[in-house]
Amino acid sequence: MKHSKTLSRIATAVVVALGGLMACGDPTPGDGEQAATGEPLRIAFIAYQNPDQLLESVEPVAEYLEAAIGRPIKTFAATDYAGIVEALKAGTADVGFMGPLQYVIAHQQSGAVPILGEIYDGSPTYLSKIFVRKDSGIETLAQLEAKSMAFVDPLSSSGYLFPLETFIESGLIARRQDAEKFFRKIYFAGGDEQAIRAVLNKFVDAAGVGQYSVRLLRPEEREQLLAIAESRPIPSHCVVVRSGLDPEVTTALQTALLALNEGEHHGLLKNLYAVDGYIVADDDTYAEVANLARKNGFLK
Amino acid sequence: MLTILVAADPAARAHIVPPQQLHPVATSYRRIEFLLNLNPIPWDSVHLDLAAIAAQLESFDTAGAVDLRKLGKKTLARVAAKDEDTMPAADKRRLIAHRVLSRTTRTVARAIRLDLDTARANLADYSSASAHFERARQMWAAFEPAIEAAQPAEFVRLGECWLAMVSALGYPGLEGIGVRRPDTATFDEESGEIVEYLDANFIDQVGTQTRGPTLPRLAALPGVARDAYSPGQRLPPGFNVNKQIPRPRQILGMVTRGVDERETPLIALGDMAFDSALIFGEPARSLAITCNTCHNKGVTNPNFFIPGLSRIPGGMDVSNSFFGAHANNGIFDPLDIPDLRGLRFTAPYGRNGRFDSLREFIRNVIVNEFSGKEPEPMLLDALVAYMLEFEFLPNPALEPDGTLNARAPAAARRGEALFNRPFANMAGRSCASCHDPSDHFLDRKRHDIGTFRGAEPDSRDRALDTPTLLGIKYSAPYFHDGRLATLAEVVDWFNDRYSLRLSGSQRMDLSAYLETVGDGIEAYEDTVYTLASELEEFDFFLSPYELLVERGETNLIDTTFGTIAFEIRAHKWDVQDPANLPLLDRLAGLMDRARAALAAGDLSTTDRMVNEYRALYRSNAGILE
Repeated sequence: MKHSKTLSRIATAVVVALGGLMACGDPTPGDGEQAATGEPLRIAFIAYQNPDQLLESVEPVAEYLEAAIGRPIKTFAATDYAGIVEALKAGTADVGFMGPLQYVIAHQQSGAVPILGEIYDGSPTYLSKIFVRKDSGIETLAQLEAKSMAFVDPLSSSGYLFPLETFIESGLIARRQDAEKFFRKIYFAGGDEQAIRAVLNKFVDAAGVGQYSVRLLRPEEREQLLAIAESRPIPSHCVVVRSGLDPEVTTALQTALLALNEGEHHGLLKNLYAVDGYIVADDDTYAEVANLARKNGFLK
Repeated sequence: MLTILVAADPAARAHIVPPQQLHPVATSYRRIEFLLNLNPIPWDSVHLDLAAIAAQLESFDTAGAVDLRKLGKKTLARVAAKDEDTMPAADKRRLIAHRVLSRTTRTVARAIRLDLDTARANLADYSSASAHFERARQMWAAFEPAIEAAQPAEFVRLGECWLAMVSALGYPGLEGIGVRRPDTATFDEESGEIVEYLDANFIDQVGTQTRGPTLPRLAALPGVARDAYSPGQRLPPGFNVNKQIPRPRQILGMVTRGVDERETPLIALGDMAFDSALIFGEPARSLAITCNTCHNKGVTNPNFFIPGLSRIPGGMDVSNSFFGAHANNGIFDPLDIPDLRGLRFTAPYGRNGRFDSLREFIRNVIVNEFSGKEPEPMLLDALVAYMLEFEFLPNPALEPDGTLNARAPAAARRGEALFNRPFANMAGRSCASCHDPSDHFLDRKRHDIGTFRGAEPDSRDRALDTPTLLGIKYSAPYFHDGRLATLAEVVDWFNDRYSLRLSGSQRMDLSAYLETVGDGIEAYEDTVYTLASELEEFDFFLSPYELLVERGETNLIDTTFGTIAFEIRAHKWDVQDPANLPLLDRLAGLMDRARAALAAGDLSTTDRMVNEYRALYRSNAGILE
């Protein structure tokens, strides 16, 4: 789940009109003691709900990076991944935050590469889980045959690709297209919360969502759900740089963000999607995601 | 209790997609629905929410917006009358309330229909269609609780319609990958179901029907039903019953003397009851409201707020029509939540000192304010025993007789002189006359100092109990209704009220005095992570079990088991290592089984479950630290 595009669709029109990104912050070069000079480094963040709020919250991060890298930082907020991938491809952004599946697509389309993976709850990977209601009597994936199933959206790692693979690995379906036959009905709920609430509310029999989705529920609601299967680990969301970005800048950015793992600026992580920290990542980190994406026709 | 975790979790972990916020239309609609079912109805708040909905509709449903604005203006003019001659009679007021809810319902339903129609017409344009669709779906949330409560099967059927529509919108994909074409036929069919339901239940019939999902609670308004709770009843958007963090430090007298709470069963039973929603009736019970919700750790809760029942955070009208309809006094009179530290020194109880006996006060809270059944005598004894252990914070700047010593700052000591100085405008009395330093800064009397508005001119109904000043640094806001935010404002208030003509520096000195007297050592706990201490507390809760068995207090045993199971489940998400979740489930499960065995009269199984629980807890207590 993580950076999914809950609620982002409304703003899509606006985003497209602005060329995919909303700029803000505009940290003025030279207002620090050591004036950052040269070409600004343009970072595109994914905003779940309120782009203005997001840009405000990453401002201290931009200030930190400006001092650490010695370049002016320009921040943008995109309300969906298309905006970020498009900007990296067009070279209007240098750095972007995205999910694993978005990354492998962006890589194929534009040669963008990941430099860091996020650590969350102490882990650089997370899981997708298949949730049912405890009172449904369903305990195995096989029992979901001819039942209704909710996924998050067609390009979600933890909310479609990986949970689907869980069914494939269990031998219940041979390939993605068979899912339509296995289940009575497949829905894309449009968001993690919508998907997991669809199970809770009995709109569907099961949902395949990221493990953290349950945290969107109240404790007594969580009590009503049961995870009957989990996917193999999914490499977490990543920080991606565009193809052709100056390697020195890339290394400086990587070092500066890694330095947040401990020390005096550690607190800034709470402004960066509240991750626990970062870990070095590269294209290999996402090799399995790429394989799955290829197998499912998401990559050529 | 439950909501604490909900609110705290995603806020702390923003990179998890945060929970969806209710659309402003749904927020205001749900709140209006709550407010219109109160008695008295807070019309000013209703008016604000009508305006909020109108503002949202402005851009796409001008007619709806105009309609709501007119409705708000007209209604407010009719109900605003303060004197009896022009005020509409009670049944008339209820009719007006019903009409306001009906028309608001119809307007919101029409707005949803409008957005669905637009989405359907624009299916070829994903961004436009999805924007209109998403707004419709979010506005639909206005009606969901009502439909879920009144027509659960319809709730599920319609929920699936919405899911089918999301899928039928198609998907724009990324760089040409993952694209899905819109499915017009499905969208037509599913949105048709929703529109049909809206028409039948929320648009056409509104105005004629007085019951049904549209107005689920209005029909049950005062009458007054003995138990006004209806399933699915929730607190209105904007409520906050989260506990304060950091948590206040609680000082129990016997614990500071080295006593283990497990050796004091009556106190332990009171501790359990203080944390139990099961001693209350509905709706407090289902909403998990306990004594501790308002008096966190026996102190206050500055965050507590329920729209329509609170005027400002940290207080509530405790004689309201929601929690205790039968005992509602019909007046909106919210009170600031009082600090319970040092309770045994601060009788009488209640802001107006209406109860001399703590036991009577507690009984009234349970039975009348929160609709609980008549408590067992032992339960009342237990709550009294527990609350009598609440100690004031130690204050090294105070001598035993309440005078300041050399540790107090100079300004505070100058303030002390002013505090003790008689003022002609206070009939020759000083602040200390009522807030007697030698007697915990109070006099156990009720005085009219002009803070409470009487029912009529010269009425004799305005006196309030003198509150202690100990600990006040940590119990803002101030006065019976919490109208003043700071101690400096309190000083200013007295200066103005009694024309004391204190200079600026004198007022600062007096504030410094109050801050010093009201201070204390370690007012808050330094740990946020509380699971281990909570589990230890549940072990205390279980410690009176043998005594309760001996006394034949089956109900209290049941309450104890139920409270522990509920609390474990509410706290289990605080666990740092998810590997420990099954352990917590087992602990809660043992309490469930003990409860079931008790209900079946199988006391030997009950005993066994209790012993298993204790053994399991004790062998794992270290792990959960």
